[in-house]
Parts: sequence; C-alpha cells; structure tokens
Amino acid sequence: MNTTVTVTKRLVNSFEQLAPGHRACLGCGEALAVRLVGKALGQNVIIVSATGCMEIISSQYPFTSWEVPWIHTLFENASAVASGIEAGIRALSRKGEFNEKTKVVAMGGDGATSDIGLQALSGALERRHNFIYICYDNEAYMNTGVQRSSATPYGASTTTSPASKITIGQTTWKKNMPAIVAAHDVPYVATACASYPFDLMSKVQKAMNVDGPSYIHILSVCPTGWRSSTESVIGLGRLAVRTGIFPLYEIEDGRYKLNMQMDKLHPVEEYLKQQGRFRHLSPEVIASIQTRVNADYAKLKEKATRS
Amino acid sequence: MNGQQTTEFRWHGRGGQGAVTSAEMIALAAIEEGKFAQAFPSFGPERRGAPVLAFNRVHDSIPIKIRSGVTNPDVVVVLDPGLLTIIDVMAGLKENGVLVINSPKSLSELKKDYSGPWNLAVVDATKIARKELGVPIVNTTMLGAVVKAVGIIKLESLNGPIKEHFGARAPSNITAAREAYEQTQIAPPVKTMPKRVEVLEVLPSWQEILPGCVVTSPGSAKQYRTGDWRSKYTDFDYSRCIKCGLCYIFCPEGCIEQRPDGYFESNKYYCKGCGICATECPKEVISMIEEAS
Ligand SMILES: Cc1ncc(C[n+]2csc(CCOP(=O)(O)OP(=O)(O)O)c2C)c(N)n1
Repeated sequence: MNTTVTVTKRLVNSFEQLAPGHRACLGCGEALAVRLVGKALGQNVIIVSATGCMEIISSQYPFTSWEVPWIHTLFENASAVASGIEAGIRALSRKGEFNEKTKVVAMGGDGATSDIGLQALSGALERRHNFIYICYDNEAYMNTGVQRSSATPYGASTTTSPASKITIGQTTWKKNMPAIVAAHDVPYVATACASYPFDLMSKVQKAMNVDGPSYIHILSVCPTGWRSSTESVIGLGRLAVRTGIFPLYEIEDGRYKLNMQMDKLHPVEEYLKQQGRFRHLSPEVIASIQTRVNADYAKLKEKATRS
Repeated sequence: MNGQQTTEFRWHGRGGQGAVTSAEMIALAAIEEGKFAQAFPSFGPERRGAPVLAFNRVHDSIPIKIRSGVTNPDVVVVLDPGLLTIIDVMAGLKENGVLVINSPKSLSELKKDYSGPWNLAVVDATKIARKELGVPIVNTTMLGAVVKAVGIIKLESLNGPIKEHFGARAPSNITAAREAYEQTQIAPPVKTMPKRVEVLEVLPSWQEILPGCVVTSPGSAKQYRTGDWRSKYTDFDYSRCIKCGLCYIFCPEGCIEQRPDGYFESNKYYCKGCGICATECPKEVISMIEEAS
C-alpha cells in the first residue's frame, strides 16, 4: 500500500524510488526530476539507464540508490536493453510464467538520447515496444564535465564549445527531440520540467497507461554545468518555460496540446542572464535568440491550434 | 622543510571549492622558481559539495617520476573547516610535516584537537576571502597560508600563475593570498597524537560480492551521509509554516520528511544544503545558515 504526502492540497506518493544518499551535486535538477518521475511510476517498473550522471550518482558499486529493479549496461543502448526486457516480459506472459503489469522505463541524458542513443531509441519506437523513454535534458554531457551535445542551446559556452573573442560558444540550435520522436507516430510525447512537479507527474502517469511507446523530455536545470546558483534551480526551470525557451506541451496521437497558454512571453534575457554559460552573449545575439524563440513558439501554437 | 627531498602535499576540499586549482597554482609557482613539480586531483563519482582530494609533489632539482596519489604527505591543507570532523585529514601526515587549516577558530583553540608531531598552521581564510573577493571561496587565499607554513616556495612566485589563471580577478586574489600569508599563525610539533576521526563507511570484501556486478539490496546507498557535503544547513521557523509541502516536493535529495504533527523537516544526514527549499518556501519558513558559524 502506498502512503501519501499532501502537497498544496494534492496527494503525492511518498515512495522514494531514488533513495536519499545519492551522489548528485547539491541542487541537481536532474536528480529532482528522477525523484518526481519515480513517485509517478511507483514500484512496478524496471528501469534501464544509459550511462551518464544519473547512473553514476546512483550506483556506486557495490551499493545502489534504486528501490526498484534497475539495470545499466552502456551509454548508447538503453532503448535496446529496454526493448529486450519488454519482449522478454511479453514472452514470459504468453507462457503464463509472468503475470505482472510491469512497465519498462528507459532513461538517459540529452547526450544519450539525442546523440549516441538515437539509433537504438528510433528502433525501439519503430518496433512499438511497450515502454516509456525519459530524456533528462541538462543540455550537455554533464557527467564527463560539460561537453556540448546536439541539445545544447545556441550561445551556450561548454568545454567543447567554449565562448571566446571569435565565437559565441555553441553555434547550432537545439535539436528538436520531441518532434523527432513524434515523427515515429508514437501514441504519447510530452515535455516537462521539475519546476512544474504536478504537471510532470501527471504526464508520467499518462505514459504509464499508454500501450506502446511513449516519450517524455524533461528539462533538468544543472547548476554545475549552467553555472547558476543552486537555490535558483526551480526558478530557472520556470523561466525556461515562461520565456517560451522550453514550452510545456503534449503530443497525443499526433495532436499537439500546449499545457500553459502564454499570451506574452517573458524576455529570454531574464533567463539567460542568470547563467554563467550565457554571460558572454551580446545584446545582438540575445536579440537573435529572442527572434528564434518567438518564431518557434508561434509555430508550436499554430500546431496546437490546428490539432 | 627543505627542497632536497620531494615534498608531498594533500589538499582536502569540497567539489567546486577549487582545491585542484590550488594544487595547480603551487606546482606552477614551484616551476616558476626552476623546481620540478606536479599537481593532480583524485576523482571519484562525487560531485559539487562532496569531499575531494588534490595532490602536489615538489622537488628542487630532480624530475618527479612517481605518479600515484599521496598517502604519506609532508603537507596537509584543509580548505573547509567542516571537513575536520568527518575526515581523518591527519591520516599519514609525516613527523615534522605541516597541517594547514582554514578556520575561524584561533590557533590556541585548535591546538587541543589538531596539534601532533607536526606544525599546525591556522588562518581564517574564509574571512579574508569574503573581504577581498566578496565570496567565501578560499582556494587562492589559502595559497598564502601554505607558502608561509611550508617555506619552500616564495609568495611572489604565485603572482605569475594567479595572473595567468584569473586574469582580471588576479589582483584581489593576490591580495587575499598576501593577507593570509601575513595572518597565518603556526605552532610547533608536540609529542602527543590528537584524537582522530573515525571513518564509518563499511565496504564489503570481494568474497561477499556477487559476480556480474549484481546488487541485491535495494536502496543500500542510503548509508552514504551526503550531509557531510553541506556548507549551509536549513533552519525551520514553524511559526509561519502552513504545511504546504513545497519544500518536500522540490528537494532533489528526497530528504525532507513530514513529522507526525504535519510539519516538515530536513534530514541532516542527507541534506546537502542546496537552498532550494528556502527559496521555494512561500512563507519564508526556512533560512540557510552557514555551517561553521
Ligand atoms: C560509448 C561511450 N562513449 C563515451 C562515454 C563516456 N561518457 C560517460 S557519461 C557521458 C556523458 C553523458 O551525458 P548525457 O547523456 O548528456 O547525460 P548527463 O551526464 O548530462 O546526465 C560520456 C561522454 C561512454 N561511457 N561510452
């Protein structure tokens, strides 16, 4: 039996899937997201983790922070491992040797998801395995010390896209991972952020009830890599959403739905100026980011209205 | 200490406090004087806030070939006073070596617990760093204290490396190091050994571990006391608390617990002191208090 804690009049599962004592940096937005996802998933899951921060901080051999079955093999193959486990569950169920409704959940960072593990993910989506894939997007390869990924935003300084007199840092725009997943015609895709915990948990619960592949892309504030203060983690996530840089939306059977209707976006500068990785940006570059965010948000709104 | 033998340093800091940079500065200063030196960190899976180690070796005239971590240091430097009660910083420290501590406490206060067959050097680097740099980051300030206490490197030799590394922020860092140099107090070795910290973490032996990296006890990493990483702790003033639970839901550690009376409190065994709960509390119930104070 699950016990609950009441948070602003809503009941929240008190189960901690990721036990305290994990070794994430203080103020880790990614660990917070994992914790909230765990509350929504509950106990009847098997988690497959790609290599990355969340694997390293939770599995220092011979101990584990996980309170549910969890497996890690490689950086690039979380979706392939999840596919195998899910197929195994189906085979055993068919033979009557397993009769639990256990959900398989694969997870990875933005590097694991949008770069190195993309092929395995695409395959698992296309084969329509009954699993959830969760991308914890902290916008760089954080575990190995802040290298750029294809999810690193334009203008961010990382160790492999360092800002200097001749470059603004990252010169490419963030890869649109949810759209890539949606192009596989999967039943459920959503974006989320731990700064909106109830929205996040309800999306995970929706994904639990999908029969087939589903995908949740969670923006995870990383004070270490973004060079921001630890106490402002939640506020930064809120700003990412309110500026339209990271809008919250769902794609259900191809239909887009915005979760927060924002008529007026906060200026992107409010978000950028709190982070060391953007500190070098000139007003012109900030203006170009603003233009791009406005355009992307308008496109998304348009998709939501048409749906 | 003289430069005819290899002098080995071990730095104790927390991830993000710049112990690695300190070690680098010492090595570069030594190299600037024509000496041979090395600096390197020790990596674990630990993150920002966790105790970390960095090492130096310095020799006047002979290239240093050994590459392993330092277990019998001539010099131990403690950047964070909070580490003194959780780590045996004196482990392996050589006779007539130097223990350099950053602490707001005076030398006579610290002698009781940390004097041994080594020189004990103390400076309030946090205070100096706050004054000169505006932040309590002590890695460059402590360089002054180390140079003074160890005596094999000149204070001036730090200027070049600090300028190179810190650019526009170099002058204040150099001033901070100089102030620490002037304010560091040193007590000579004594015959007696002080009481040592007991390190609690228990690791199973290889015979007890299953093949295939299988771990069969869920949540067993709960034994890690991540509260040791903390430099600030939470203080709850329940007179304003409305029991909304936002502190609970936003804690990345999952270490805020609800008591039977409905109020929430953070478990100090795990709380790393990120300050998220204090920022998100709508009633300003929680304040963050500096550990050392
Ligand atoms: C094939 C392979 N290449 C590189 C690595 C080294 N590596 C381990 S974790 C990691 C970065 C992970 O980044 P990301 O997926 O974004 O997750 P994060 O750590 O940021 O949560 C890298 C490069 C590896 N383990 N395997």
